[in-house]
Amino acid sequence: MTEQKKADQEMTEPEMSKPEMNEPEQKKFADLLKQSLPPTNWELDRDLWPKMLQRLDHDARPRKWFAVLFSPAALAAVPWFDWALLAVLIVGVCLSPRSIPVWLYHF
Amino acid sequence: MNTHPYLRAYMAGTAVPTMMLLVVLTGFLIARHTFHIPIPIERAIIFPMALVPNIFGAWNMFYLWLRPRPHLPIGLHGAILPFILAPIGFALATCSGFLSATSAGLVWFHEVAIPYGLIALGFSFALIAYYLVWKYLVGFFNEVLGIG
Repeated sequence: MTEQKKADQEMTEPEMSKPEMNEPEQKKFADLLKQSLPPTNWELDRDLWPKMLQRLDHDARPRKWFAVLFSPAALAAVPWFDWALLAVLIVGVCLSPRSIPVWLYHF
Repeated sequence: MNTHPYLRAYMAGTAVPTMMLLVVLTGFLIARHTFHIPIPIERAIIFPMALVPNIFGAWNMFYLWLRPRPHLPIGLHGAILPFILAPIGFALATCSGFLSATSAGLVWFHEVAIPYGLIALGFSFALIAYYLVWKYLVGFFNEVLGIG
């Protein structure tokens, strides 16, 4: 019985080589497709809108570039050598404040 | 689609000296009106206002052009810039009449005398300043504009 049903469901070689399917064959093909695909649940199991609002809100408030540039993470990534160079620069300017206009001119 | 990377590189390069221009102008005004240093602002502002931002932009475009080729890190690339800017600045200041060379050293704004011995030290400070500015500020703006 099962083998008979299976034989009915399987397409034979001549059937597959035919250029076009007639109406019963199309119906049979559609039934086979329906049986092979799992049933689809068209209803969502949760509301996606709050999550979408949350995402929009997060994207609408990017951090200011100034905050990014001087963020603790960015400052922590600066190597000690560059801090030392900055300190040398500040000390140099403090030792010779009259040179500040010259510095300003060259920037 | 052409995303104009060189235009973005130019904009990223000009951002820092354009922002600094406010500081420069404020410094000049304070120096002139508070400390009575006779800075001819209308002539002294030409170099930091017209030339420096454009040269920064062009230098950053050059950095972008060098990217696929062997190149220096952006900090060192920026530290080369004083070798170009300093002679131009000196020449412009001399032509504008507020820099003169004497036997003791350079005299800026008829008031600020810098001995020749200190010029090398000041130049090395300029290299440090440009290295830090290019590494952290111009590099940051390059990243913001998507060319970092």
